[in-house]
Amino acid sequence: MVETKESKTGLLERLRNSIPQEWILSLKAPEPRRIFLSVKREHFKEAMTKMLKDEEITHLSTITGVDLGEEIEVIYHLDKSGTILSVKTTTPKSQPTLPTVTDLIPGAPLYEREVHELLGVAFDGHPDLSRLVLPEGWPPGLYPLRREISIENIRSALEKAKEEKKVG
Amino acid sequence: MDEERVIIPIGPQHPALKEPMNFMLKVEGEKVLEAIPNLGYNHRGIEKAATVRTYIQNLYLAERICGICSIAHVQCYAQGVEKLLEMEIPPRAQYVRLILSELNRLHSHLLWVGVAAHEIGFDTLFMYLWRDREIVMDTLELITGNRVSYGFTMLGGVRRDISPDMAARVKKEMKTVRDRTQYYKKMSSNERSILKRTQGVGILKPQDALALCACGPTLRASNIKWDVRREDPYLAYNEIPFNVVTSDGCDVLSRMIVHYDEVIEATNIIEYALDHMPSGSFREKVTRRIPAGEVVSRVEAPRGEDIHYIKSNGTDKPERFKVRAPTLGNIPAVCKMLSDSYIADVPIILAGIDPCFSCTDRVTFVKGEMGKGWIWTQEELRRYANRWYQQR
Amino acid sequence: MNVVKWARSKSPWIIHFNTGSCNGCDIEVVAALTPKFDLERFGVLLKGSPRHADVIVVTGPVTNQVKERLKRVYEQMPSPKFVMAIGTCACSGGVFKDCYNLCQGVDKVIPVDIYVPGCAASPEAIIDGAAKLLKKISG
Repeated sequence: MVETKESKTGLLERLRNSIPQEWILSLKAPEPRRIFLSVKREHFKEAMTKMLKDEEITHLSTITGVDLGEEIEVIYHLDKSGTILSVKTTTPKSQPTLPTVTDLIPGAPLYEREVHELLGVAFDGHPDLSRLVLPEGWPPGLYPLRREISIENIRSALEKAKEEKKVG
Repeated sequence: MDEERVIIPIGPQHPALKEPMNFMLKVEGEKVLEAIPNLGYNHRGIEKAATVRTYIQNLYLAERICGICSIAHVQCYAQGVEKLLEMEIPPRAQYVRLILSELNRLHSHLLWVGVAAHEIGFDTLFMYLWRDREIVMDTLELITGNRVSYGFTMLGGVRRDISPDMAARVKKEMKTVRDRTQYYKKMSSNERSILKRTQGVGILKPQDALALCACGPTLRASNIKWDVRREDPYLAYNEIPFNVVTSDGCDVLSRMIVHYDEVIEATNIIEYALDHMPSGSFREKVTRRIPAGEVVSRVEAPRGEDIHYIKSNGTDKPERFKVRAPTLGNIPAVCKMLSDSYIADVPIILAGIDPCFSCTDRVTFVKGEMGKGWIWTQEELRRYANRWYQQR
Repeated sequence: MNVVKWARSKSPWIIHFNTGSCNGCDIEVVAALTPKFDLERFGVLLKGSPRHADVIVVTGPVTNQVKERLKRVYEQMPSPKFVMAIGTCACSGGVFKDCYNLCQGVDKVIPVDIYVPGCAASPEAIIDGAAKLLKKISG
């Protein structure tokens, strides 16, 4: 049986040639059909636009946010004929913002809202970054997936929010 | 014109099964103009909880992300951790896991077609399908000892083996399931009351399906041949011949046909896998500490592409565990299907993507500015829908 | 036994509410109502509206978002009303013990009459719970 229509090295080589070196922080393929590409934040949107156009990628599987301590890493998992291309970029935790990709991928809004809600990354140009998964009355500025927030922190913050509501 | 325009919240409470979910529908007369999803009734915080548990405890947590596609989630998680460990599980374990994944798909698909039949007021078919689904449940119980959450997949393999006696019994049951499904498929594609409610309803054009990143049977019913089992093979899927089923109707009927065909396909896969099972051990020992690294793992769950991201920092607990279940991927698509449809078709369209929140129980109609509202139960909405169709 | 009580014990109409469960118990509740297990022989009928129901069947550990809705649905039911908590997580939070967005059990929000443990609770266990509830109703 054919492995995949697109062998992993084909895409890897093309990416290496098409994307300018100074945009890339790292590019690796640790196993078959998985590629991790890390790009600089200021070139992220350009790189994304170029890749989607050159490779005719339409499918975005999901967006993952990871708290790295000082920075927040956002990973876009794209699919190109069975190969998962994970495009990574980082944003400082003190003021996390990234340009939106909703204009490039119509299926992205829900994933961006989820990352916004759970990690507090603001996506510039997103049409509607309102509440998605957390309950109504959730304390603003409390992002549950950040590293310094423990489950006990969240519980006590929720208790506090409830008390304040009762008093007010 | 404005007087006609009203907003209808649907959900979150629901009668038959599945998760709570809320949709705001902007309607004008009978036409739905726009659908806005509102999630979060089922947000438990699993991703955070996973970071304070060990990899072995997380097996059981992953299994309970969804009780219907439990095997798919636990398979996806275990496969990711095994990749971090850079180990291959024994071939026999791969086959046992594959058989379980397909049994899982069988019961989930039969469940869905039953629910779809219920939504269009065809309760007889619903009861028949759920009766036949019990054959699959008995098979699962025979192999794993449980009906819903199995606790069967382990890091490094599976908990128990499939004995020759079990295999013979499973094969016999698969034949029954296949014969009956073929009959139901024939009946569903000819029965007028089904055709009238499903043909041309909930259209999702191929280009929209691709643009909105739909997945699973929803995508395949829009005539796009895309299946993780074929595109990104895991377990032993590259050793087993099977067809990726598609249908070109792009409507609810096609989704029904795709589900029937996938049931038939799954029974064939199970029979083939049972005949070609390699011998050997079915489990290997693994260490508790997982080497640092990151991995993206995905499987084809019954509802579509299920993708997990695991980041390890070298301890016995993951640093980040991210899950994207297939239903979330299909929500933009269902909003597209709902726009420009009729209120009467809302239940079947929502059910059409095989969601994990399906049934729309309580529908509140609120007239825009006047703030007057009335409440419909899902039962009443369905009765209204059936009546509306009788008059047409 | 007075006639109202007798009638009630012969036709307990139920409403099913998922409060954040994994769906495992939900499909088992439906399976209990379909031909193989057939809970309907006890007169149990699944209704869509809380206003028609005598028994609320709750599955799931109750998320914060759904808590108020659960209370509201419970209040909409006519008295006397009974609550069945299906599954370990509805009884005590179960496997979701450390999750931040949960109330850890139905009994933290509304009073519970029957606890059916199991993850997921099997249809046999649900039937057993229903039979015990019927005993309680007929007093």
